[in-house]
Amino acid sequence: MVDFALHHRPALADAKSGSFGAPSTGKRITLAALPEGHVLQVLAARESGDLQSLIPRIGDGTHHAVRPYGPGQWFVIGDAPLSAAEIFAKTPLLDGKASISDQGHGRVRIGISGWAVETVLAKGTAVDLAISNFPVGHSAMTLIGHISALITRAGTESFELLVLRGFAESLWDELVQMSLEFGVDAHTGK
Amino acid sequence: MASLIACPHCGPRPKEEFTVRGDAGIARPVPDAGEDAWYAYVYLRDNPRGRHKEHWHHTSGCRRWLVVERDTMTHAIYAVSDAGTQDASTRGETA
Repeated sequence: MVDFALHHRPALADAKSGSFGAPSTGKRITLAALPEGHVLQVLAARESGDLQSLIPRIGDGTHHAVRPYGPGQWFVIGDAPLSAAEIFAKTPLLDGKASISDQGHGRVRIGISGWAVETVLAKGTAVDLAISNFPVGHSAMTLIGHISALITRAGTESFELLVLRGFAESLWDELVQMSLEFGVDAHTGK
Repeated sequence: MASLIACPHCGPRPKEEFTVRGDAGIARPVPDAGEDAWYAYVYLRDNPRGRHKEHWHHTSGCRRWLVVERDTMTHAIYAVSDAGTQDASTRGETA
């Protein structure tokens, strides 16, 4: 039993919020702190073969819930918070071929969208984000500046970034800075 | 060092995403190989000029260990492969 209740405080609660940079044009960037629901890291067991079709079983069925970031490694993400028991109950769905680790406390999501979103992110990463090379639903683990993040394309002009909680506010500030030339509206959800 | 390493899993990425470990051709001695063999394994390294195989870790990407064959003089990269696909001798393991 725990001796005291832990209060959940969103990682970006105190981050910069509001409108910054160039005055309104049609090319503004929108930054949004996304719900801190569940983040499950799934690691394949050795010699378990191709599990790509197995992993969606533990997802919530939404688009881009399953995000591969390397051989035999996935993040499964959703808006709903899950209890330890609910996460534990998902383990049998993987037939013993992969294990689940709850990273809900460790990583948070940032949404970034707008006409120039590829140009903004290209200031920080070397990954080719052109839609022909990086279609909707595609993910890549990479560096944005000096901060490691998983980039997922959520739409033609929108991406989601999954970043370590302790780096989230720092990345947020950098994204605001990178977006200034287009103007940026930052919503921390406060 | 060339600035791009073509990770077999992630595609070309800047070297800042990687961490170098060193010579990929060194085989780990058996536990009772003796002090000299272990001293050489732990401490003694060549400083080759030219073609060289090294272990690199894609720290900020797929987190896989890679074997990068590169030229220490011209900075050219000849081949990159996943360390898990190498045979035991180049993985630095003994059977």
